[in-house]
Amino acid sequence: MKSIAEMTQVELAAFVQSHLQEKGVSVILSGGASVAFYSDNQYVSADLDLICTLFTKQRVIEEVMQRLGFSQKGRYFTHPDTTFFVEFPPGPLSVGKEPVQKIEEYELETGILKIISPTDCVKDRLLGYFYWGDRQSLQQAILVAHMNPIDLAEIERWATEEGKLSDFGKIREQLIRP
Amino acid sequence: MLEPILGSTNSERVLIFLTAREEGYAREIARFFETGLAPIQQQLEKLEFGGVLVSRAAGRTRLYSLNPRYPFLDELKAILNKALTFYPEDLREDLTMNRRRPRRAEKPL
Repeated sequence: MKSIAEMTQVELAAFVQSHLQEKGVSVILSGGASVAFYSDNQYVSADLDLICTLFTKQRVIEEVMQRLGFSQKGRYFTHPDTTFFVEFPPGPLSVGKEPVQKIEEYELETGILKIISPTDCVKDRLLGYFYWGDRQSLQQAILVAHMNPIDLAEIERWATEEGKLSDFGKIREQLIRP
Repeated sequence: MLEPILGSTNSERVLIFLTAREEGYAREIARFFETGLAPIQQQLEKLEFGGVLVSRAAGRTRLYSLNPRYPFLDELKAILNKALTFYPEDLREDLTMNRRRPRRAEKPL
């Protein structure tokens, strides 16, 4: 088993997730770290957003993280052997107004990674672009869309529900793999 | 008014203020409701952590607003807007009728 110092961002996520799962706590990787996974680390963010599913006990999370050598600073958990920091947003696990329906699982050397799908990852990034005009979010969405199979029709349906069909129409072509 | 479901008066104050004005900072909200700064800051941070609010820096001030990505935003706004109609008229007007257009620096009133 790799040491925490040797772990990539997603390996660390799988490591933490697996230890929490042993205590019955299910958390799902979302946010920038999911872009890192689906872009083969072409994009890396410093934080790991592990979204809590229903009625997660904060006390259990704190105990497990402490046992793994993390210390809590406000809402973040940091570890002396890694620059990545971990956050457990309370959820719900959603992309805009809709709940995430499908969770992907991958077996990594450090544990089972539970992560949102590439399609939901693209939706998640597009939200940053739609609501705040964030070009970096759009670039990340394009990166994930070009490197993974995504359901473009589903993203279009979702964008319609979000009331962002017109914005989606302007960038739709950019999501298609060249 | 919404304290039984929101769990705190200051949570209601923060959410009502941001629903009415779309954006605000801790001191402004505390001053408006003539209450302490610390509990308002605490609620803002709690609601931001929960994904209900987002914030951005404007100079040395942190401006908060409702998170457009919050999955229950439409439903929450519906409740808050309804709650606003139950507020005393003067308070409701003060909340909604504030100046938003720009004012040139040092311009006399």
